[in-house]
Amino acid sequence: MFLAFKEMARAKVRFALLIAAIALLVFLILFQQSLQNGLITGFIGAIREQNAPVLVYSVDGQRVLQGSVITPDMEADILAAPGTGETGPIGQGTFTGLPSGNADGETFDTTLIGYVLGPDGNGIGAPTTVIDGRLPTADDEAVVSDADVALGYGIDDTVTLLPGGKQITIVGVAENAQLNVAPTLFVSYDTYLDAVKSVNPDAGTPLPNVLGVIPADGFSADEAVASINEQSLALDALTREDAAAETPGVAQVQQSFNIIFLLYGLVVPCVTGLFFLIVTFQKANSLTLLRAIGAPAGRLVSALLIQVVVIIAIGLAIGTLLYYPVSQQALGGIALQFETAAVIFWSVLLLSLGVLSSLVAARRVLRIDPIEATTGQGVGS
Amino acid sequence: MTTAPAAVSTALQLTDVRKVYTMGDGSDVVALDHATLTLGSDEIVALVGPSGSGKTTLCSIAGGILSATEGTIVVGGEDISGHNAKELTKFRQDKVGFVFQSVNLVPFLNARENLLVVDELGKRTGAPARARADQLLEELGLADRAKNLPSQLSGGQRQRVAIGRALMNDPALVLFDEPTSALDTKLGEQVMELIQGEMKSRGIAAIVVTHDERITHYCDRSVHIVDGRLEA
Amino acid sequence: MKLALKELRRRPGRFATATVILTLIAILLMFLGGLLDGLIASSTGAIRAQNADAIVYSDTAQASFVRSRIDPELRAQVEGVDGVTEVGGIGNVQLGARVPGNGPRDLASVALFGYELAPDGVPDAPAYGQAWADESIKADGVEEGMVIEVGPARTPIAIIGFVKDTNFNGQSSLWASPDTWRDTLSANRPDAQLGPDVFQALIVRGDGDDLPDTIDAATGGATDSYTVDEAVNAIPGVTEQQGTFNQIIGVTVAIALVVIGLFFALLTVERTSLYGVLKALGARSSTIFAGLVAQAVVVTAIAALIAGTLVVLLDLLLPPGSIPLLITPSRIILSVVLLLVAAVLGCSFSLRRVLRIDPASAIGTTS
Repeated sequence: MFLAFKEMARAKVRFALLIAAIALLVFLILFQQSLQNGLITGFIGAIREQNAPVLVYSVDGQRVLQGSVITPDMEADILAAPGTGETGPIGQGTFTGLPSGNADGETFDTTLIGYVLGPDGNGIGAPTTVIDGRLPTADDEAVVSDADVALGYGIDDTVTLLPGGKQITIVGVAENAQLNVAPTLFVSYDTYLDAVKSVNPDAGTPLPNVLGVIPADGFSADEAVASINEQSLALDALTREDAAAETPGVAQVQQSFNIIFLLYGLVVPCVTGLFFLIVTFQKANSLTLLRAIGAPAGRLVSALLIQVVVIIAIGLAIGTLLYYPVSQQALGGIALQFETAAVIFWSVLLLSLGVLSSLVAARRVLRIDPIEATTGQGVGS
Repeated sequence: MTTAPAAVSTALQLTDVRKVYTMGDGSDVVALDHATLTLGSDEIVALVGPSGSGKTTLCSIAGGILSATEGTIVVGGEDISGHNAKELTKFRQDKVGFVFQSVNLVPFLNARENLLVVDELGKRTGAPARARADQLLEELGLADRAKNLPSQLSGGQRQRVAIGRALMNDPALVLFDEPTSALDTKLGEQVMELIQGEMKSRGIAAIVVTHDERITHYCDRSVHIVDGRLEA
Repeated sequence: MKLALKELRRRPGRFATATVILTLIAILLMFLGGLLDGLIASSTGAIRAQNADAIVYSDTAQASFVRSRIDPELRAQVEGVDGVTEVGGIGNVQLGARVPGNGPRDLASVALFGYELAPDGVPDAPAYGQAWADESIKADGVEEGMVIEVGPARTPIAIIGFVKDTNFNGQSSLWASPDTWRDTLSANRPDAQLGPDVFQALIVRGDGDDLPDTIDAATGGATDSYTVDEAVNAIPGVTEQQGTFNQIIGVTVAIALVVIGLFFALLTVERTSLYGVLKALGARSSTIFAGLVAQAVVVTAIAALIAGTLVVLLDLLLPPGSIPLLITPSRIILSVVLLLVAAVLGCSFSLRRVLRIDPASAIGTTS
């Protein structure tokens, strides 16, 4: 322990540089982890959040809400499927919204998701996790996603849709309920229809984009999906989880980030391993001397490992500290969160990899022959 | 065989040279005290003394590696007493040769390239330097070892390469730091014979720092140094 | 400097690990850059291709085609603005297309444009029912002459040729006459259908310093006009993606700097005695430091070369559409330049130590 810390104190610049490298890498990895989760949640949070276990798109929709249209024929097919229990239409549209809670009078792309409210606002398609306020129980009331509150979409705020001037009042806030990384309002189906007409008088009555389906008794969500898809090739039924995961773009985002994480994750053990290998070579003479005067080899190796663990731990701590304030921000509409699970995962992973990588140096330390103290040889060349 | 330029008659003139180090706690350590020494242009002098006697300090000052606190140093006619670091660097390139105790050849350069290092770092004359290097290697009996790395040479061969490197820039003075300390008696004698031969045949002055009384007879005279002071 | 390069050649092993790490970092830089370029290109191609001095949306559209409507009266106003020479309508609709030979649930994503003034690289609007297609649609199996069925109404569109780099919102663009577009829109998106002669936006050519502002002023704020560059940046996600990615790239370059600084600081410590000898022989500090920088530059250049090759290979091996990667020479060159700058700056951590090495340390017993 003593050796380990004494050496680090005497060579501050080197160890500081190593810690800096690790801290920056940890920061980047954690930041991108938040970015990835924030992006995906921002894209399809609403889909995961709404309460229908099965969503039926039209195949033409390519698993995107706004592209999908359920015609009356398709609706009939869905109702005829044995796996279908109750259904409810869900409509989605993007509008220009002016939230009254925004001090600068800014307008934002605002997504409206319309569903049939039912007696208490908890109809098929309603958000499941209302963390503040309540569900809408009448027309022109809305539940907004928590990420949007900061933009001016708070409880009791009104959102004016432009053009047309239709107004909607926010009555509740749901967790992680955004769609397409834009402010998202869950409203009654009639409110949605009204909104469409108000901005485009030429529009006919829109058909629902998807049908939310509760599986019939005795059917699991997967079984309901299969039975509906059998009805017609024009139908594309998915469980809620699949609908979220297979939205175009989500898989791309995950694959891209996976490559990025792999590369960054490799850099950390390489840098640590290289550093300790070189430093071990440089300390060759003093290590040999210590062995000659009786220090057990195990002690020297444990001094090395202590350094590795301490360095990586400090790097992790600094990196996480840098990450914390950044993780509280909204980045262009993407709400970032402090991903505790990611911090734990990467801490364990990087510590393990770092220790593994330093085993190369440890092997060298173990191979030192104390007799070389007298001949003046040592480990290096 | 080349002859030394006969322009100056003394290779080295140290007059009243003092070197004082100030320690961390404010106290002064006098490493060299009122050292006065003159070397003729082809004299070989043995500088003998125990460890810590200041012989390394004297050598370093004479070679322009260290600045003196007080005193005058004239090497090959050039007064280096007041030289700044840049001027000393140039001085070392041109006028002095070193053969270090631990030889200190560049480990990844072969024998020939080690000789050419000084030219590379300084004047970059190119072809003339290469010709001189080849000639020196020949004269030192290393012509067939020109392409070998130091790790492929014996202790004595490495010593000879170091000597060749010291002679490359045709110096006024060569400083040998404990040239035989790592060698056995026989090899040590061989090296001293070589040094004596090379210095004398080229008419170059040399200081041989040593604590080994066995080899002083290869030198023209011995100068003893104890606790920073020279004895006649 | 020759000395330093000789060491590199004679002792490549000691630089190998640092080169590996730098290669990883270089790959990261090029990959991140390529990802950014790919995302932006596939979102903004259609707008970037427009040969326009102004793109005009309606005032509350937030630069979004879907929410913009320009009726004939508004268009007439724009046409009458001082400096405007040509005005063409444009609109689009995003649908799934059925391609002959593909499975019934395997649709191609397309953005069908109706246009009057042709964008760069796109010929004039074809006959009714025909369209030029962005070549990216070939990845979905589309060939010249094929008739694809667009949208739930299965509107037939014949593909008469291909154009490049005109994609919109990550989807393959189709370029057709305004009538083709308008009819397709009505048939497939009845809730978004537009009356005859109504467009979503206008492509305007003209003179004048600030045509977009002039137009908006002349229409009394009923329009929201942009230059092509501004319209590109107004596409949702573009500026955020650029900002975020550039920040990540910046921090990665900083990491490269620190890694190089670290590696060469270690190397300098190891070579202290060698440098002492060289200084004793007459080497200047500047010569030694220049050698260090030369080594850093060469190691970085080699890493960048390997990384560039691997990234190009990765690009070729990736199935089209899996990751939006666009590898351009300018991105690779930029990454290399950034790394080289980081290499030179990283060496500065060793400068002080090189300066402090005392030639006197070469004499006397070496410990």
